[in-house]
Amino acid sequence: MTAKTGPADLLTLAERLVRFGKASGADEIEVGIGDGTEFAVDVRLGEIENLIEAGSRSMGLRIIKDHKTAFAASSDLAEETLQRLIKNAVKRAELANKDECAGLPSLSSRAIDPAGLALFDPHVGRLESKAKIALALETERIALSDKRITNSHGASFVTNEGTSVLASSNGFLGEFQKTHCSLSVGLQAGETDERVEDFWFSSQTHFKDLETPEKIARTAVERTVRQLKPRKIKTQKVPVVFEPLMTAGLMGFLFSCTAGTAIYQKASFLADKLGDRIGNDKITVIDDGLLPGKLGTSPFDSEGVPSRRTVVVQKGILKNYLCNTYAARKLKLRSTGNADGSGVGPNNFYLEAGPHAPSEIIRSCEKGLLLIRTLGHGLNPVSGDISRGAFGLWIEKGEIAYPVSEITISGNLGEILNSVEMVGRDLEFSGSICGPTLKVAEMMVAGEGSR
Amino acid sequence: MPETRHFQRVPFEDHFRLSRDDIQRILGIAQSSGGRFAEVYLEYRVFNSIVMEEDIIKETAESISLGLGVRVIAEEKTGYGYTNDLSFEKIKKAALSAAAIASSPTTVRVVNLRTVHPPHNYYRAREIPHRAPLERKIGLVQEAYRACQKSAPAVKKVKAALLDQIQYVMIANTDGLLVADARPLVKLSCVAIAEKRGKREYGFSGGGGRVGLEYFSSALTPAQIGKEAAVEALSLLEARPAPAGEMPVVLAPGHAGVLIHEAVGHLLEADFNRKKTSVFWDKFGKKVGSPQVTIYDDPTLPAFRGSYNIDDEGTPPRKTLLIEKGVIKGLLQDRLSAGLMKMPLTGHGRRQDFTDMPIPRMANTYIEKGDHEPAEIIRSVKKGFYADKFQGGQVEDSGKFTFSVSSGFLIENGRLTAPVKQATLIGSNVDILNKIEMVGHDLAFGLQTGTCSKEGQDVPVNDGCPTLKISMMTVGGLE
Repeated sequence: MTAKTGPADLLTLAERLVRFGKASGADEIEVGIGDGTEFAVDVRLGEIENLIEAGSRSMGLRIIKDHKTAFAASSDLAEETLQRLIKNAVKRAELANKDECAGLPSLSSRAIDPAGLALFDPHVGRLESKAKIALALETERIALSDKRITNSHGASFVTNEGTSVLASSNGFLGEFQKTHCSLSVGLQAGETDERVEDFWFSSQTHFKDLETPEKIARTAVERTVRQLKPRKIKTQKVPVVFEPLMTAGLMGFLFSCTAGTAIYQKASFLADKLGDRIGNDKITVIDDGLLPGKLGTSPFDSEGVPSRRTVVVQKGILKNYLCNTYAARKLKLRSTGNADGSGVGPNNFYLEAGPHAPSEIIRSCEKGLLLIRTLGHGLNPVSGDISRGAFGLWIEKGEIAYPVSEITISGNLGEILNSVEMVGRDLEFSGSICGPTLKVAEMMVAGEGSR
Repeated sequence: MPETRHFQRVPFEDHFRLSRDDIQRILGIAQSSGGRFAEVYLEYRVFNSIVMEEDIIKETAESISLGLGVRVIAEEKTGYGYTNDLSFEKIKKAALSAAAIASSPTTVRVVNLRTVHPPHNYYRAREIPHRAPLERKIGLVQEAYRACQKSAPAVKKVKAALLDQIQYVMIANTDGLLVADARPLVKLSCVAIAEKRGKREYGFSGGGGRVGLEYFSSALTPAQIGKEAAVEALSLLEARPAPAGEMPVVLAPGHAGVLIHEAVGHLLEADFNRKKTSVFWDKFGKKVGSPQVTIYDDPTLPAFRGSYNIDDEGTPPRKTLLIEKGVIKGLLQDRLSAGLMKMPLTGHGRRQDFTDMPIPRMANTYIEKGDHEPAEIIRSVKKGFYADKFQGGQVEDSGKFTFSVSSGFLIENGRLTAPVKQATLIGSNVDILNKIEMVGHDLAFGLQTGTCSKEGQDVPVNDGCPTLKISMMTVGGLE
């Protein structure tokens, strides 16, 4: 095994493996290789805690023989290992069952030029270690300068640079390079037994798009201290306002319910609902793999299907499921370019912004809960039921009154989408799944006492 | 212990192509800028999976993970480098990346590595899963699938999967330790989706551990796993929404141990206490719960999913007392925290894989049995919630934690009545530990399918608990 890192070498290796697969008896074969470097620094209380620098490569492949599928993956890129994996996969495929929907996509005539997607920021790779460490230290220092902060989970700065190549027996050959950087800090406020905590972060493809240490630190401080001295509230049904990060969580759940793989397995409450009204006209949800410079952007998916913009929900009507080639064939639809390994993943999946300022949304609540954090899982895609631990700020007469904790919120995603009253204009692409502030007419909030 | 013998017969050179001298050289490079401790972690892992759905064996997969991580500790700082390219040039780069954390004058010590064998074998694998013929494994998946499918006509979709892996690790450090382990792990699981009157629900079951395929002929058969998944989905179809509000809660024995995992286990991981972010940091030796509560973490339970012969720093693990009769007695330690806190190692330094630094983690966490009859515990509740099946939970350092219940029952006048579904329970750990009023004598463990996430690292765990009564807790249902 020798050290080869150039994209050209990776492409050549992928092509060679495709040829080897065909020669070993595969009807179809697809080989993807990733090569990346990682830098991460964690600082805490003004000192470096961890410093990580590394490079790693990995290969994933799929083989189809007689409409039967086998997958393999390896972080060992020795060619003898990869050839053995291919031979094993061909043998395993023979033992699987015939599946008419199995197979690679046919080669698209459309190709996206990665250059137009602004996926790679050369500045990220040129940052000196010292500068990266300084960013983390500066962020934490500003946060700790606020006397209300009593402890720190530390600040981190992370960068990644990676190359992805894909070669298929259908003739597809593609590659792109992508960068990522993120700066974050986690804080605690209050004394040991009344501790509250929160964090803030900025995560981007381009270094220049990162929020400043000052902004990240101030936001983290504000988000932490606003939870000090929480009260308990009575169990009741009230309007709930979701902050953007909370809306993103809700959209993540909606994504899993619109994934074609969940739909054909009937593992989603949205199965058999294509074309139906699933929300009110304030709900428009998009999956877009082509937004320049965003975290979920790429020229093609893991099967080489070109990325596109897909309207998932348009003014409340379910327009599209998000599919890889397999799910699309099962559902007699077309792939939306969402293949991610053997499953389906989001590109940039977001709730479209509405007309309202977040402050206006809070002012509209006579009484309500501003949801700021959740804890735990409690999401059931089959029924759409949601039940999670929650932290929030209580709203009275349109004003934030006091923080509340040790509560749970519960509801059903289907009912929530139908009872959204206001959508904020504050959509920011802080992750590959995102959304603006959102007001839901009513959810069950459990706290003290029972109903 | 065939696996361990096998590993010793196949020297690490075969997987890693590195000799003992090579490893000593790498440790030397790692210490070239100083630092009190350096370590090399080598990992070779093979994962296999088989998935059956829509009546067919739909896909199989084989994955190999091979790589090396180098760690250097200088006071409270850690440098880490890793690579999956085992050319000497890349390994040297990883070692120098790790060394960059230290900056003291160098006096490179020559390390004499001594091979140590793990003192005990906690694995119980006779029919080693990764070496079994694929046909044999497909047979187990089909058996679970079919048993689930034929349980009832309302079962509309079934998915069954077998995952197995063998993880070879080798750890060498500047204390002269050279130790290896070969860890088998297998999981057979089944998901059922049942449908009735337009309503859909799902059920899950599974089993396995650090066992061989013979486990599925004796301890737990594929048919049992399939049927249990179906039964859960079918019973949820008849369940109504869970209640909302504060009420007494009784936890069913077994996987309810997730409560202990979240409420206690994480916050007694040494790193959170060393950094004083855990609500427990100033409570060592102090009473934090009811005298009925005694909690252990035990990585030495034979065949358990969370068990291991050595942790990922090469330390043989110990059954660790965390809380005795309500008083905090111990922490889960890794080398870094134990060194800085001047406390003994417990063998809880674990990592997901070679790309990660070890951190203190749980293995198999449980609350010790008490002396109440389970029936007596239920009888003591006039109106409350019986939590039966669980999905998992989460905790933050302040002690606020949640866990999700997928199904349960109402308790009315000391009897289980209507089945209910989907509720998240939330509490504050010290508060809830003090409200544990009754502990049953029926200690049981979860399904041997659990995975715990911390700082982006997933490791296999298990937890256990007897029937337990919490006098008052917030239940987040819909009604």
